Amino acid sequence: MILPKFDYKKAEDIAAAIALYERSKGRACYLAGGTDLIPLLKLRLSEPSAMIDLKGIPQLKTISRKGNSLVIGPNVTLFELKNHETVKDYFPALYESLDATSCETLQMRGTIGGNILQNTRCLLYNKSLDWRTARGFCYKMGGETCNVVPNAAACFSNYCSDNALSLLSLSASVKLAGPEGERKIKLEKLFSKDGRNPFTLKPGEILTEFHIPFKRSTGAYEKLRVRNAIDYPLLGVAVSMIGGKGKVCVGGIGPAPLVYDLKDLSGAGLKEVAQQARQEARPVSNTTLSAGYRKKMVNVLTQRAIKRALKEGK
Amino acid sequence: MKDDLNIVGKRVVRSDSLAKVTGRARYTADLKFPNMLVAKVLRSPLPHARILGIDLTAALKVPGVKAAISGFDTYGVKWGVFRYTQDHDMLPTDKVRYIGEDVAAVAAVDEETALEALSRIQVDYEPLPAVFEPNEAMQEGAPQIHDAYKNNINVHVHINVGDVDKAMSEAFLVREDTFKAAGEAYAMMEPYAVVASYANGFLDLWMPNAGPHVRAKALSNLLKMPLNRVRVRHINSGGAFGGRSEVSPGDLVASLLSIKAGRPVRLALSREENATSTRQVHDMIATVKTGMSKDGAIMAKDYRVIYDGGAYSSTGPIATSIPFYVYEECYRFPNVRYNGYRVFTNKGIRGMYGCHGRAFIAGNEAQMDLMGKELGMDPVDIRLKNGLTSGEVTATQSKITSCGLAETIATASERTNFKEKWTKTSKGKGIGMGCIAIMCGFPMGFRSGSSCYVKMNDDGQATLVTGLVDNGQGNESMVIQVASEILGIPMEDVNLVNADTEATNLDPGAYSQAAAFVGANAVRIACENARKKIVAIAAEKLGVKEADIDLRDRMAFSRKTPGKNMRISWVVREAFFRGDPIVATGTYFPSIDFEREWVSRPWGQMAGTFSFGTSVAEVRIDGQTGKITVPHFTAAHDCGRPINPMAVEGQMEGSIQQAGIATIMEENLWNKGFLLNPDLLEYKVPLACDMPEIETIIVSSIDPEGPFGAKEGGLTIRMNAYSAIACAVANATGTLFSELPLTPDRVLNILERKKGAKK
Repeated sequence: MILPKFDYKKAEDIAAAIALYERSKGRACYLAGGTDLIPLLKLRLSEPSAMIDLKGIPQLKTISRKGNSLVIGPNVTLFELKNHETVKDYFPALYESLDATSCETLQMRGTIGGNILQNTRCLLYNKSLDWRTARGFCYKMGGETCNVVPNAAACFSNYCSDNALSLLSLSASVKLAGPEGERKIKLEKLFSKDGRNPFTLKPGEILTEFHIPFKRSTGAYEKLRVRNAIDYPLLGVAVSMIGGKGKVCVGGIGPAPLVYDLKDLSGAGLKEVAQQARQEARPVSNTTLSAGYRKKMVNVLTQRAIKRALKEGK
Repeated sequence: MKDDLNIVGKRVVRSDSLAKVTGRARYTADLKFPNMLVAKVLRSPLPHARILGIDLTAALKVPGVKAAISGFDTYGVKWGVFRYTQDHDMLPTDKVRYIGEDVAAVAAVDEETALEALSRIQVDYEPLPAVFEPNEAMQEGAPQIHDAYKNNINVHVHINVGDVDKAMSEAFLVREDTFKAAGEAYAMMEPYAVVASYANGFLDLWMPNAGPHVRAKALSNLLKMPLNRVRVRHINSGGAFGGRSEVSPGDLVASLLSIKAGRPVRLALSREENATSTRQVHDMIATVKTGMSKDGAIMAKDYRVIYDGGAYSSTGPIATSIPFYVYEECYRFPNVRYNGYRVFTNKGIRGMYGCHGRAFIAGNEAQMDLMGKELGMDPVDIRLKNGLTSGEVTATQSKITSCGLAETIATASERTNFKEKWTKTSKGKGIGMGCIAIMCGFPMGFRSGSSCYVKMNDDGQATLVTGLVDNGQGNESMVIQVASEILGIPMEDVNLVNADTEATNLDPGAYSQAAAFVGANAVRIACENARKKIVAIAAEKLGVKEADIDLRDRMAFSRKTPGKNMRISWVVREAFFRGDPIVATGTYFPSIDFEREWVSRPWGQMAGTFSFGTSVAEVRIDGQTGKITVPHFTAAHDCGRPINPMAVEGQMEGSIQQAGIATIMEENLWNKGFLLNPDLLEYKVPLACDMPEIETIIVSSIDPEGPFGAKEGGLTIRMNAYSAIACAVANATGTLFSELPLTPDRVLNILERKKGAKK
C-alpha cells in the first residue's frame, strides 16, 4: 500500500510547528515516530494535507527533573525511556508497560508522546479503504452506525496504549501548547471518552511535556495478548503504589482508560476494586479474542497486578 | 548404493543462503523491465451478487492508463484442477462469489494512476443472498453458489473398506466426537506477485509457484495460447506451503493486461489482498467415530468431515481426501468409512496447506489417547499397537516400502520421558504426541515424473537442467548436493537451470512432497549416467578397470592406486575431442497406480514411498487466563536419508512454528464474509519469543527407491505438530477439546466446563 500525497515540513521549535499548523487550515498533522500514524495513512484513515515533523525539536527530546517532577519530553523514544536510570527504580509500572509495548525495534522508533496520542483501534476500523468501503463506514469513519454493535449509539474502539495506563497510575499530567497558548492538565483529562475522537486536544495543540511526581513507587503492569511481543493489549492493567495508597488503571477496552483509587489494601478491598473494574469494563467483539473472555480477564489481571505491586512494596 | 558419502548427508551451507541473508536474492516484485506498467485489481465488495455490467470507459480515459480489462476480455475458460471441477472463472462475468474476488483490472504507468483508474470503473451488481457456513450451505433452500452443484456440495469423497457397521458392533469400545477447526492463512513472507511480459507472440511470466510446468499449462488453457508460447520463468519464492500450487487469478490478470498493453506488467498484491484474494486454508468440522478391541487395536473408523470450500473448487477432491490419507498411511484400519464433503460458501478461495486436516488429525489423535486410557494403554503403546510397519498395505491399498514410524515414536518418547510425564500430570502441565505419515508424490498422470539433463562444461564444472522448483525449502541446494556427490565436484562447481518451462522438462513441482523423492531422483540418475561416461574415459586413460575409478574433489582416480589420477576437466575435454561431450539425461517416474482417482476410484498405490514422524509437545496452562505456553517441543522425523540434515532440521523447526505453536493462536476470523484479520498484526503468526525449546531428531529409514535413500524433508512434522499440542492440552485438562485453535478464551471455557462438571 502506498502513502497518499502530502506536504512534508520539519519544524525547528514548537512555535514554528504551531505556525505551520495554522497555515494548513486545520488539515495538517504532527509527526513524531510515525509508528501509529504511517499505517493510518496507508489505510487512508488519515489523509492530512501536510505532515509537520516534530523530530527536529530538541526541547521535546529531553528528560529532566523540575522541582518534584520528572519531566519527560514526548519525543523521547520508548526504548530510551525504558532504559532511563530512574524509571525502573522509581516507576516500575511504567518500566513494565514500556517493556511490554510492541517489540524493542519499534520501541526504538516509537515515542512516548505518540504512544499516548495513538488513535483508538477496532478490528473493523484498522483496515484498507477498499475493505472499509465494502463493509460500510462506521461512526469513527464518519458513518452513521457501529459495525460491531448494531444500533449502538457510541463507538467502542479500544484505546491501546500500554503506557498511558502506567502514567495514569502514577498521577501524571501533561503540558500542551497550541495556537491559543499553553495549558497543563491531568493526564485523565486528555481523554474525551468518545471513540470517534478520543482526545480533548484542541486543533493544533502539541503535547510538550509529561510530568510525573518524583516519588519512588512500587507497581506492576499486566497485559493480555495472544503473542508475547508486537501485539496491542486486549486488556492492560497498571498499578502503582506510593505510601500505602495507589491507583489502578484498566485499559485496552473502550476508548478511554478506567482509573480507580486503591485505599483499602485488605483482601476484600482489593477484590472489590477488581470486581468494580470488571463491571465497568464494556468490551465488545472488536478484537481477536471474545468480549466475554476479556471482561473476565479484567478481574484476573487487576488482582494479579495489585498483588505484584504490593509484593514488590514489601 | 555407496555408503561412504562425501557430501550427501553432510551439514552443508545451502547454495541459496548467502543471497537470501544478504538481501540479494530477487523475488517477483523486485523485477524491473523497461516500460513496465503497474497493475491494480478492482475487487468485489459483495459476497454474492450478479454482475449486470462492467464499464471500463472512464478508467481508460485516465492519462497514463495503458490497459483495462474485465471478465468480458477473457475466453471464459474456467479453471479447475480436474475436468469435473472446472468452475472458476478467474475474472467472472456472471456473478461474484466472495468479497475480494477479482472483477476488473488496470495497468498504468504508476500505482497512483492505476488506483485513480480503478476508482472510475463502474460495476453494476444485483446483490444476492449469501451463505457463509457450510452446514447452512448444505441445507435445502440455501443460496446456490454454483448452479452445477446441488446444495452447494462441491465434492463428496466416499471411501468404504471392509464392513464398518459390523466391526463397530463387535468393538469393545466405541467413541464418537466432533471437532471443529478454523481455517488458517498461509502467511507467506512474500505477498503474491506476478510479472507478465508479452512480446512477439510469446508470454513470459514470473511468479512464486510450486510447479512452473503445471502453471504454464493452466495459463495456456485460460489464454488459449499454445503451450510453447507461455513461458514461466525461474524466480525465488517467498514461501508456498501449498498456497502457490495452482494458477491464480493474478496470473490471468497480469497476462491479459500485458497482452493488451504490449508492455511488461507487474501486479504485486498487498498483504490484505494476499489474504482475502489468494487461496487460504479450509475451515472444517470432523466427526470421528472409532471402534477398538479390548487390546487397543483399531477395528473400525467412521468419518464425516465437512470442509468449507469457499467460492470455487480449486484442488477440491484432493483437499477433501488428504487429511484421511495421511492418517490411513500411518495407522492400520481393517474397516473404514470416510465421507468427506467439500461445500461451497461465499468466502475466499481455498487450497491445500502443509497442515491440512487439523480438526481431523488432531481430533483422531486426541480421541485415540482417551480410548487408550480407558483400556489402560498410554499414547505410546496405542500408537505402536496400531502403527503401520514396512511391508504392510494401507486400507486403500498403498504398500509401505520403508517405515521408521515405530522408531520415531520410541525415540521421541524416550527423549521426553513421555510415559512418566503423561501418567503423572501435575496441575496445568501436559504432554501430547502426534504421529502421521505423508505420501512422497501422488498421482498426477504423466506429470508425476521428473527429468533432468546434465552437461559437463569444459572446465570440469556441471550444469543441471531440471524442472524442480524451490519455494524456500532448499530444493535447489538439495539437487546441487546430489550432483556434487555423484560427479565428484564441489557444490560451487554445479550450476543450476531450473523451474523455467522453456529450458526445463516436466517435473511434478514442489507439492505432494515430490521434490526429493522424484525430482532429486531424476537428478541422481542423470548424474550417474554422466558419471559412467566420465569413468569410462578416465579408466581408459589411466589404464585401470572402470570399477576401480572413483571421482572426488574434481579428480578421477584409481581406488587401488590413488597415484593414478587425472582431473575431471581433462576427462571432459577429452570427451569434447572425441566429438562425444559428456551430457546425460535421467528420468524418474514413481511407482504409482495411475488408475487411482480421488473420487471415482479411491484406492491403489498412492505414492512411491511414505515418510513418517512423531511430535511430542509439552505445554503449561495458566489456569486463570487459559493461556498456553509451550516450553519444550520434540520432533522425530523419518525422512529417509537426510541429504542435508541442517536443512531438514530447519524444515522441522519451521513446521513446529507453523503447525505447532499455530495450534494456540492461528485462525482466520470471519464476519459476514469479511475476513477480519487479513494482516499480520491480527492474524497471529507465532513470533520468536513464542517459540519453545526445540529438539529435532532425524530417523533415517533408508528408502530403497529414494535418492541416496531420501524421502522428504519435514512435512510429517507440519502435519502432526498440531496434534501434539492439542493432545498435550487434552492431557493437561483431562478433557477433549471440540474447537481449534486452542486460544486462551477457548481453553478457559474447557477449564470452566470441567470445573462446572466436577461441582
